Amino acid sequence: MTGSTIDHLVSVTIFLGAILLFIGLFNQTIQTAILYQRHKHLATKCSDLLDNILLNPGYPIDWGTSNCTPTSFGLQDPEFTQYRLSPFSLMRLHSSTGEPVYYPKTDSYYSNITTGYGFLLVPSAEAINYSTAARLLGVNGTYGFQLTIMPIITVSISEVQSNPLKLAVDVTGAGFPLSNAVISYCFIKVEATGGAGAYPAYTAEYNTTLTDDKGSALLNFTDVDGEDDSYVLIVYAHLVGLVGVGYHEHVTSDKQYIIPFIDNFEERKVLIAHSYDVHYFGPPVAELSYNATFVLLTEDFTLREMPLGPGKIGKVNYGEGKPYGVVTIPTYNPGILIITYRKSAVECGVVLMPWGISSMAFPVTFGDDPFGKEWVATDTRQVVVNGIAYQAKLALWSLEGYGVIG
Amino acid sequence: MMRTIEILLVIIIITAAFIISSLFAVLPSPRQVSPLNLRRLALTTLQTLDVDYDLSEIVFKPEDDSAWGELQIALSACLPPNIVYNLTAYEVLSGSGTELYTFIKSISNAESLGIDSDSAAYLVASSNVTFNVVPEKVGEHGGGGTLYILNCSDANGWWITGYTAQSLAEDLYNLLSPYFQVTIMVQNTTQLGQILDGTQLQNETLQHAVVINTFGEAVPIPSSYASTYDRDSYAEYCYQLGKRVHQYNWTWASIVGYPLYYVSNTGYFTGSGDHNTWGIYGMKHVGPGGLNAFLRGLDNQPYSYSGSWITGDSDDDIGLASVQLSSETLYYSNYYGIYPSPYHTATRALPSWITGVYNLDVTTYILVPVGNWIAGAVYRHTVSGALLALGLTRTPDIRLTVMGILSDYKPRLFRSEYTAAGTSRLVVLQLGQTGGI
Repeated sequence: MTGSTIDHLVSVTIFLGAILLFIGLFNQTIQTAILYQRHKHLATKCSDLLDNILLNPGYPIDWGTSNCTPTSFGLQDPEFTQYRLSPFSLMRLHSSTGEPVYYPKTDSYYSNITTGYGFLLVPSAEAINYSTAARLLGVNGTYGFQLTIMPIITVSISEVQSNPLKLAVDVTGAGFPLSNAVISYCFIKVEATGGAGAYPAYTAEYNTTLTDDKGSALLNFTDVDGEDDSYVLIVYAHLVGLVGVGYHEHVTSDKQYIIPFIDNFEERKVLIAHSYDVHYFGPPVAELSYNATFVLLTEDFTLREMPLGPGKIGKVNYGEGKPYGVVTIPTYNPGILIITYRKSAVECGVVLMPWGISSMAFPVTFGDDPFGKEWVATDTRQVVVNGIAYQAKLALWSLEGYGVIG
Repeated sequence: MMRTIEILLVIIIITAAFIISSLFAVLPSPRQVSPLNLRRLALTTLQTLDVDYDLSEIVFKPEDDSAWGELQIALSACLPPNIVYNLTAYEVLSGSGTELYTFIKSISNAESLGIDSDSAAYLVASSNVTFNVVPEKVGEHGGGGTLYILNCSDANGWWITGYTAQSLAEDLYNLLSPYFQVTIMVQNTTQLGQILDGTQLQNETLQHAVVINTFGEAVPIPSSYASTYDRDSYAEYCYQLGKRVHQYNWTWASIVGYPLYYVSNTGYFTGSGDHNTWGIYGMKHVGPGGLNAFLRGLDNQPYSYSGSWITGDSDDDIGLASVQLSSETLYYSNYYGIYPSPYHTATRALPSWITGVYNLDVTTYILVPVGNWIAGAVYRHTVSGALLALGLTRTPDIRLTVMGILSDYKPRLFRSEYTAAGTSRLVVLQLGQTGGI
C-alpha cells in the first residue's frame, strides 16, 4: 500500500514537472511566433504606409504650393501618376535634421534644410510637422515613422587646384559609380563690380563632359582663380533616366553673406536677409548689396533665366531699422534662386536657394528618430522628383510595445 | 512502479509530440518576417529608369549595343549594394488571342539571387511605333457635321494681336477638321453672304453647322448685308446673324473679347472715316449693341436696339483677372491631347442673366464662372442655335475655342489596338538580397 502511494506521488510529481516544462517550451514557441507575426504585420504596414504617402497627392492636391494645412497627407506630384513626387510638397515638410533658424526681424523660426551655401529655410509655422502628418495618416499614437527622401545619385565636387581652377567631379549611385555619365554643368562666376551701380552680377558658362570608368571627371577653368574669385558650379549628371545634381561654391566674403528665407509659399515671396541677423560674427558690420536671379532647368540641362520683379537688386544690413529685401519668385516651376552679393570691391559671394527641393537635389528627412526603438521595419521605393532620381525610405515602429502575454 | 513507468511513457509521448509539432511549426527567417518589398522596389526602379523613355529605347537596341552596358551601370548605381538583380527583356509576339514571349537579353550582377527574390514586369513600347487614332465625326450619327471657318480675305480682325484671321483659321482647320464631316474655309464675305442666305458652298449640310469667327471682336459683313442691315451702326446685321444662327441651328463661336463689336469689309468700307477708331480701316464700330442684337436674334425676338455694355472686366476686381479652366475642359484636354494654359484673364465675361432673358442653357463651361460672370461657355438656345463666347483679353488662344467645341460635341476617339508585331517588349527585373539570414 505504501509502495503504491509512493509510486503515485513520484509519478504525479514527474508528470506535473514534465507538463510545466512542456507548457514552457510550447509557450516559448508560441510567443516567438506571435512576435514574428507582429513584426510581419509591421513590415506590411510600413510598405502600405509608404505607398499611401507616395501614391497620393494629399488634399487639396496643390497644398505644396499654398499656405494651407492639408486635410489629407500625400506627396505625389498632382500633375503625374505613379511614384513622382511634388518638389514643393517635400519642401513644406518640417526637416527633422537641420537645427531650426530664428530670424529676429520676422520673429519666426524656420525649418532648415541648408547645406553649405545652398539655403532652404521654410517658415516653421507653414511647414507640415510630424504630428500633423501622423494624424493625417491615421498612425498618431500607434506608429512612429521617419521618411527619408535621398537623391540616388551623389555628385560630389572638390577643388584639385586653385589657380587656374581645377575641380574634380565624382558621380556615384547607391551602390556603384556612374561611369560614362553625361555631365552638364553651369559655372557661375561672381563679378563684384559687374552689375549696375554697386550691385554685383555674374557670368555663366555652360558645358558638358563625360565621367570616366570611376565615375569621375576633371573640369578646368583657366581664367578663374579659386582663391580670389567667388564662384559656384552646378553639375547635373545623367545616365539612363538617372539624374543627379551637385554643386560647389567658393566665396570671398564668408562671414557676411546673404541668407534667403521663404516667407510665403502661396505668394512665392522670399526674404533676403543679412547673415549677421542670424549668425553674428562680431564687428565690423558691412552693408551687402545683392542681385537676385531666378533660373529654370531646361530639358538640355542648361539654366534659363526668368525675369524677377521688384526687389531683384537691393541692399541689406544687420540690426534694427535695416529692413530685409523681398523678392517674388515668378513661377511654380522648380528652379534655383541665385543671389550674388557684394561686400566690397574684392569681397563678394553667391548663395543658392532651390525652389522645389529637386533643383539642387536636397535630401529631406521627416519624422521621428528611429534610433533606440525596439523593432523598426523599413521599406524603400525609387521615386522621381521633377526628373531627379530619389530614393524614398520609410522607417516604421510600433508605439504600442511588443510585449507578448503567453 | 507501474505508475512511474506509465508517466515516463506519457513524457516520451509528449516529447515526441513536441518534436513533431516543432518540425511542422517552422518559424520564418528574420528576413521573411520583416521583408523589404522587392517587388515594389523592382517596379519603381524600372519606372525611374524609364522616366525619360531611356529604358524603352535601350531594350529595342541590338544585343551588343553599348547602351545595354549603360543600363547595367545605371541599375547597379540605383540599387542598394546588398541587392542583386537580374533584368531580362522579352519580345512580345501577339497572335490570334495568344501572346508569345521570346527571350532577348539578360543582364545580372550575380550568379544567383539567393533563397528569396521577387520580381516586377514592365511593358515598354518601341519609340518607332505610331498609334493610329480615328476620331468620330460630328454629325456622323445625326444631322450637321459642317464646320465653317471664317477666312475672309476682304475683312480685318481686331484683338487678334500677333495673328491674322487667316493664320488662326489655318490652325483651327488643322485642329478641328478631323472631327467634322466637312470643313469649309469661308474665303470671302461673298461666300459668308451665301451661307447666310442658305446657299451651300460645297454641297455641305448647312443645318446644325459650327461657324467660327476668327476675326476676334470684328465680324466680316457681306456687302449685300452691309447695304441692307445698317441700322444702329450695323447692330441690325448682328441681329440678322443671330436670326440665321437660330434658323439653321448653328453654333456661332467668338474666339476673344466682346463678340460682334465691329463689322468689317475692306471692299465696302473704303471711306476715310471707315475705321474702328484704333487705326484699322475697312471696319465699322458697332459697340455693345451688336451682341445685344445678336442675342435677340438668337432668341427669335423682334429687333430692337440696346447699346448697353453687359460684360464684366478683370479691372472691376471681381475675380476675373485669373479665371481657370473648368474641370470638364481639363478632362477633355487630356482626352483630346490639347493643352491650353489653365489660367486666363477675362475682360469681357458675359453675365449669367443672359441665360434667363434669352432662353439659353449653358451646355459647356470652358472656364470656371466667377460669381455671376461667365468668362467662357457654350450657350445653347432652348429651341435652336448656340453661341460659344470666350470673353478673354487679347491675344486669343484658339485652343480654348477648340476645347469648347470638342467639350460640347464630345466626338469619341477610336484608338488603334496595341497588337502590332515587334513593337512591345517585356522587361522583368528580379531582385534578391545578399548577406544576413
